[in-house]
Amino acid sequence: MHIVVHKAKCQGHARCWAQAPDIFKLDDEGYILPGDIQVEEGEQLPASQGARSCPERALEVDSTSAARFEPADTQPRAGEA
Amino acid sequence: MTLNQVPDHVPPEMVGDFSLFTSPGMLPTPDGDPQAATACVHAGPPIFYSPFNTRDGRGTWVITRATDQRRVLQDADTFSSHRSIFASALGENWPMIPLELDPPAHGVFRSLLNPLLSPKRVMALEPAVRERAIALIDSIAASGTSCDVMKDFAFPFAVSIFLRLLGLPDHRLHTFVGWAKDLLHGDDVKRPAAARTILAFIDELAAMRREEPVDDFMTFIVQAQVEGRRLTDEEVRGIGVLVFVAGLDTVAAAIGFDLAFLARHPEEQELLRSEPNRIVLAAEELLRAYPTVQIIRVARKDIDFEGAPIRKGDYVSCATMIANRDPTEFECPDTIDLMREDNRHAAFGYGPHRCLGSHLARRDIVIGLEEWLARLPAFRIKEGTAPITCGGHVFGIENLIVDWS
Ligand code: HEM
Ligand code: SF4
Repeated sequence: MHIVVHKAKCQGHARCWAQAPDIFKLDDEGYILPGDIQVEEGEQLPASQGARSCPERALEVDSTSAARFEPADTQPRAGEA
Repeated sequence: MTLNQVPDHVPPEMVGDFSLFTSPGMLPTPDGDPQAATACVHAGPPIFYSPFNTRDGRGTWVITRATDQRRVLQDADTFSSHRSIFASALGENWPMIPLELDPPAHGVFRSLLNPLLSPKRVMALEPAVRERAIALIDSIAASGTSCDVMKDFAFPFAVSIFLRLLGLPDHRLHTFVGWAKDLLHGDDVKRPAAARTILAFIDELAAMRREEPVDDFMTFIVQAQVEGRRLTDEEVRGIGVLVFVAGLDTVAAAIGFDLAFLARHPEEQELLRSEPNRIVLAAEELLRAYPTVQIIRVARKDIDFEGAPIRKGDYVSCATMIANRDPTEFECPDTIDLMREDNRHAAFGYGPHRCLGSHLARRDIVIGLEEWLARLPAFRIKEGTAPITCGGHVFGIENLIVDWS
């Protein structure tokens, strides 16, 4: 499982970090670091809880395949801004 | 409320009769529950026009669904924050910063301020916050078996944290509580007078810190650089005033609403007292159930939104208490479940203006509840008294007399 981080949508609520500080790392301003997150076997529960707790919907759980990795998404998507 | 306040472009069938200022439960009400009273809008359409929905009687569009509020608040290009609320009350025109700036200027100041109130920074402030809570509650416990939570705890606690943030001693506490009360709840004479007093105070503090820097918020602001230059006097004041306005009443009201809920729900109260590790999660649910802020944006261009013809200059209201009772966002939104998980509530807003003080506010609330429950026995609303609540721009609770005799 991995987590797609839509960095541009992150507004620093830090709810993900409050659930799982080792999985969701924040910068000095308190916003999530860019780049998708590969989740280890035993950490799936806190990881998906953390992702679900994001009020901005900036974190997307992708449990289909661990191999499918996308470049960090740094632009808001069209029509979704 | 007259219909001529509705602009011509608003179709009459889109006018709703709900208002955060005038609907039942919004005016000062004994034993009221103004947040719950807003939930009725979810029986209606996702957007409607409320002809009287600001303090000065302006109409606004009202966005009811959490997902649509997210869309509005994440889109600052269409929905602007520039309103000069504080300054215009004084017949002036300057923005509170960063609240009334739009991106990209917003981001410049926001990045400057973020580290001052980041989750990590807040951890360092925690011991001082706890010390204040303990001092206040111990003195309440020592002086009897009843108190007014708002006057004796919630307000002095919030103000004292603010003073600590600004590096000021506590002996001016009562002066500040008075200013805050007049500014937020005073009449048309008291409000501008308090605003002027607070401005003069912020200006004076800034001048002091320029002359003699210490290690505090205001020193940081007067020494800071944005885009290679120092901040102007107007910018320093825009920041100082905002932190004053944004951080006092909100935290005090949150603590008041939370303790009022616990005073009325002895089982939940006992659960949190006997298992204090549940307070962190419970505080999130209480923030969902009792948020206090109505967010307003101004349309920067014409846009059709879920069938509503929003026109340039229209006000658009995203009330956090309405989003937090949205049944398409929360299961059983009208049930307060202190063990609710995945609680993506909107109490601190969405989008780039997400409450800068949210991490501090959360800790203040949790610490306040922890120390209150640890130091006082089972409490209830004192017989013969009724807390008075009100709606409006910032929802509030005026008094909360509790008793543990
Ligand atoms: C429970 C307490 C609080 C609540 C419910 C609350 C709520 C909010 C909300 C909803 C907003 C968004 C406003 C908008 O988008 O127009 C906001 C912004 C803000 N809040 Fe809070 N707040 C609280 C406590 C605090 C505290 C303690 C501070 C300061 C120490 C603070 C400082 C700010 C600032 C500076 C902004 C503007 C941020 C920006 O425009 O980028 N707040 N708050
Ligand atoms: S919860 Fe969402 S908005 Fe908050 S820090 Fe994490 S990713 Fe960012």
